[in-house]
Amino acid sequence: MEINFICNGRERQAVIGGDTRALDLLREDLNLTGTKEGCGKGECGACTILLDGEPVSSCLLPAAKLDGRKILTIEGLNPESGKLHPIQQAFLDTGAVQCGFCTPGMILSTKALLDKNPAPSTAEVEIALSGNICRCTGYGKIVQAVLLASERLQVKS
Amino acid sequence: MSENKYSVIGKPQIKVDGTELVTGGARFAGDLRFPGMLHGYAARAGVPAGLLNKVDSSRAEAAEGVVCVITAENIGGPNLMGIMPPFDQPVLGADEIRYAGESIAFVVAETKREAKKAARLIEADIKPVKPVLTVEDALAEGARKIHPGGNVTFTRQLIKGDAAKGFDEADIVLEDDFETSFQEHAYIEPEAVCVVPSGDNRLTVYASCQSPYHLRGQIAANIGLPMSKLKVVQAYTGGSFGGKDDVASEIGILAAAAALKTGKPVMVSHDREESIIGSNFRHAIKIHYKTGLKKDGTITAREVKILLDGGAYASESPFVVMKALIHAAGPYSIANVFVESTAVYTNKTYAGAFRGFGVPQVTFASESQLQEAADKLGLDALAIRKKNALRPGDSTATSQVLDESVGIVQTIDAVVKRAAEVPVIDEDERFLYGTGYASLIQGISNGAEGIDVVGASVQMSQDGSVLVGTGLTELGQGSRTVFAQIAAEVLGVPLERVTARLVDTDSVHDSGATVASRATTTGGMAVFKAATEVKNSLTQMAALMFKTEAENIVLKEGFAVLSFDDSARIPIADVATAAYWTGFPIMNMAFSRAPDADYDHDTHQGKIYIAYNFGTHMMKIRIEKSTGKVDVLNHIASHDVGKVINPLGLTGQVEGASLIGYGLAHMEKIEYENGIIRNPNFADYAVPTIMDRIPTEVIAVEEFNSTGPFGAKGVGEPPVAGAAAAFVNAVSDAAGIRFRKIPVTRQDIMLALRSRDSEEE
Amino acid sequence: MSRMEYYKPESIGEAVSLKSSWSVYIAGGTDLGVLMSDFAVQPEALIDLTLIDDLHGISDTAEGVAIGAATRIAEIALSETLPSCLVQGAEAIGSPQIRNMATIGGNICNASPCGDTLSPLVVLDAVFVLQGIGGARRVSACDFFTGPKKTCMKPEEILTAVIIPSASLDRQSGFRMIGKRNGQAISQVNAAVSAVIDGGIIKDIRIAAGSVAPVPLRLKNTEAAVTGEVLDASLLARLKAAAEAEISPITDVRAAEDYRRKVTGSLLESIFLELQREGL
Repeated sequence: MEINFICNGRERQAVIGGDTRALDLLREDLNLTGTKEGCGKGECGACTILLDGEPVSSCLLPAAKLDGRKILTIEGLNPESGKLHPIQQAFLDTGAVQCGFCTPGMILSTKALLDKNPAPSTAEVEIALSGNICRCTGYGKIVQAVLLASERLQVKS
Repeated sequence: MSENKYSVIGKPQIKVDGTELVTGGARFAGDLRFPGMLHGYAARAGVPAGLLNKVDSSRAEAAEGVVCVITAENIGGPNLMGIMPPFDQPVLGADEIRYAGESIAFVVAETKREAKKAARLIEADIKPVKPVLTVEDALAEGARKIHPGGNVTFTRQLIKGDAAKGFDEADIVLEDDFETSFQEHAYIEPEAVCVVPSGDNRLTVYASCQSPYHLRGQIAANIGLPMSKLKVVQAYTGGSFGGKDDVASEIGILAAAAALKTGKPVMVSHDREESIIGSNFRHAIKIHYKTGLKKDGTITAREVKILLDGGAYASESPFVVMKALIHAAGPYSIANVFVESTAVYTNKTYAGAFRGFGVPQVTFASESQLQEAADKLGLDALAIRKKNALRPGDSTATSQVLDESVGIVQTIDAVVKRAAEVPVIDEDERFLYGTGYASLIQGISNGAEGIDVVGASVQMSQDGSVLVGTGLTELGQGSRTVFAQIAAEVLGVPLERVTARLVDTDSVHDSGATVASRATTTGGMAVFKAATEVKNSLTQMAALMFKTEAENIVLKEGFAVLSFDDSARIPIADVATAAYWTGFPIMNMAFSRAPDADYDHDTHQGKIYIAYNFGTHMMKIRIEKSTGKVDVLNHIASHDVGKVINPLGLTGQVEGASLIGYGLAHMEKIEYENGIIRNPNFADYAVPTIMDRIPTEVIAVEEFNSTGPFGAKGVGEPPVAGAAAAFVNAVSDAAGIRFRKIPVTRQDIMLALRSRDSEEE
Repeated sequence: MSRMEYYKPESIGEAVSLKSSWSVYIAGGTDLGVLMSDFAVQPEALIDLTLIDDLHGISDTAEGVAIGAATRIAEIALSETLPSCLVQGAEAIGSPQIRNMATIGGNICNASPCGDTLSPLVVLDAVFVLQGIGGARRVSACDFFTGPKKTCMKPEEILTAVIIPSASLDRQSGFRMIGKRNGQAISQVNAAVSAVIDGGIIKDIRIAAGSVAPVPLRLKNTEAAVTGEVLDASLLARLKAAAEAEISPITDVRAAEDYRRKVTGSLLESIFLELQREGL
């Protein structure tokens, strides 16, 4: 079947099968490999993308469900090369990135949180990122990064 | 801490490879795409032990999209891999199956999905035999031999002084059994490799890996190509922690064999389940521990018997045996130590390297028993540790005399000081509160496991920018950043002008595996040496330009500057250009070799490690009585790291390692039933989420280490041991029950409390 | 390119007519996706139910509240009008990503004993509306689950709505679960309570627990033991003992039987303490 959707602000078309996962569409057809496969079962969050602004696990999401909808992947966060989004910069500044494999998913979950809740409490940050597993950092700096990004984004606006 | 006289060293740095990671631009091995690329997927035995008569791949070969199937029969090479000779592990199961996750056929197809589907059509004629599933069964009289040489993989002893005499001198003796479970690495990126015929009669292997040179050697040996025809390029690697050595070899060999057969690029990227059942674990260890002490807390003797469940193949077991052996007695000055450490084969997934490498398990036992001793003797937890702690001039359990860089006492003092500042909280009667301590030692570099060498290259270009490379892999721990910092410091250029490139095996000397917390130490020294040679060329050139002696030139702030006239400076780019045109080399390849271990192999007495990391941890916890849930209220982790190179990287390493230790002690366990893993997924193998994190506070102590750059020594592994041991002591303290088996989960805690309470009624 | 079809019916009737033995309904896809990734389910077509308007929306009706089966768990978790036990159950499911995709209908039809909306629905006396070839029928939550991952649904039937009867709405309720960890935790055990507590006395009570029996279990003996009693510390102790005796948990890879048994009492106690505080 053919689907039409908006990916990172751009209109896209694709021909897919019923069992094509959104993750495969992104990584194979669109060459957007920033979204990762960590477990294939919605248990690690590495495949997180934003679907109409909400974080979802693209490894469980049929590509067919993208029809008529908008998605944001990590590549869509800073379309201007050379300029990082404040969330990306905050992750770097606090040392919240080690191997980087969980990072795209973490950053998108963060974006979804801060778009809805610009000044979250630590507990709210934890719930929002509870679907993103990290094995390298111990999470402390990730929480710092989200709170720092929230401060900086509020100053900007 | 020393005053920081450096411009780049000791200051927090954003990791140099961070931008591409936060934008998603970094290519991990599974992200690579090549025209005509095929995908491979392994079929696995599914029974823990048996005789393999035949693998029938005909149905798989006929399946949609399948190009070929490789089995032990047609793999075209010795079909053998391993870490230490004699290699005992087939790449594809040949005559005998020794664990359920063992690969028996490799299906190559146009897409991963087709390969995976077709792998289910592989038929194997396996005659099951009764699996040997425990170390006791493996060692029993008349036990079936898993390998021709018997079921003992490797055994060693450590003998210092006279343990029997030491126990006679003791006022009290404690003796107990401790047990740990298999822990899974659970890096978020499963293993992946892509082998590409590179059009120059060579193969390029892009791999998520930790030991690119080892990988090159294993592939070459199995496909009959000279090593010089293989180039391994380390792709961005999503965590390794010791897990991407054996398995990288396995899938590398299979992908390379398929690439040779088909002439096309071949990719393997593991599913999570494959990653869990098919790749090595942290050894499950049983420890019989005996400590003798005087009433004042002085340890007079320690005797430790360590039994490691190594699973089906040797992998790193010999090295883990030795490391457990050497560290079992703890960071203490003890005259009499006897340790025996033995790894045993069983019909389970093989155990191998995992961050800590035997030290977390023995530290848990050591620190648990020492705490029990302290409690029995009525001594303060940190005071008893300080009393016995190693000091400069003391000899370790291997009789290695440490003259410098022995910071254990300083870490204890740091914890004492900081702990006093932790506010006292109001206690709620729904909870039990407790505090746990642990002190530890962890040798840095390869030690008894063999030679420790690193190759590095530093190249300055005519525009003054610098390219640094080593043979050691960036796994997230920040080694590329540390190497860039070292080069920047030595050459006096801003960090932004230094690029640390990815690793490939063509570029520098074979550097072994990125393990044993050695990257900063031995790797850093290699970079230091190479950068120093380039610095010498530049200072000599600048001296000519200034018409002075080289010793009057300082490289700083991107300039060559006269030491006695700060305003007299030439931009480094001009010096580099002049150097090139004058014939001074502005690139250097260096080879750093750590001092060899030198010890008696029967008693393990002598010099083993080039340096030791020391640490002390404190954890304050509370237990919810009704459910057994544990909240960590405070966690202080103090480590002697010699010299802090990048504070941001350092704290990240200690925090990350601590959470892995916490998982080992509290939450994680591979569950076996009759040799089959019951929880090969992230739903039921529970690693900590962000809601489970612990509030680690890092305090660095700097006791200069002359074998490391700027005095530094590694810290990647040690916090695993500290956090795990401190946690168990904290829970035991809170519950008033001594736990001797990890993980001690909320279920274990609640049931133990109920059982104790109902006994008391 | 796979040949699996993907249908997007716009009405319940259309969906039912598309259903055959080689096609599978899909709602959020969070349970189905896992099964398909292991090839445990290999349909030739998927029938997406989430584009059917009639399956969406939470509305007040004459009989109570009707929740469209395709309502996402995330929406239920954010509801300020639905009963607490159901909201808390929805909050406990998975992760934000899973809650944004999963539906209440999917959680019910998957019928996992540890499903976190199930014990709440049982104590709310929920009624499930099923539509099949022969038309619609209603089944109460107590009768719907027949075993682990088994329901009384016919193969072509679709769960279209969940009705919470009015009588269940104006009551106090609560839910607790426990897993191996704090985040993304699968329930080792969960418990739900719906009660009328007046003047410190339990006038009416419904208690259910999940993952302690093949289906979400109403603890009728325990209910009987506490109805009409004063809610105090000694009653709570008797309640816990009664509950622990009434359930029949098993040991599996997630938890041991005696932990499940003992912690069920703890979860119920926690719910009752909260209801007590709220009632003051």
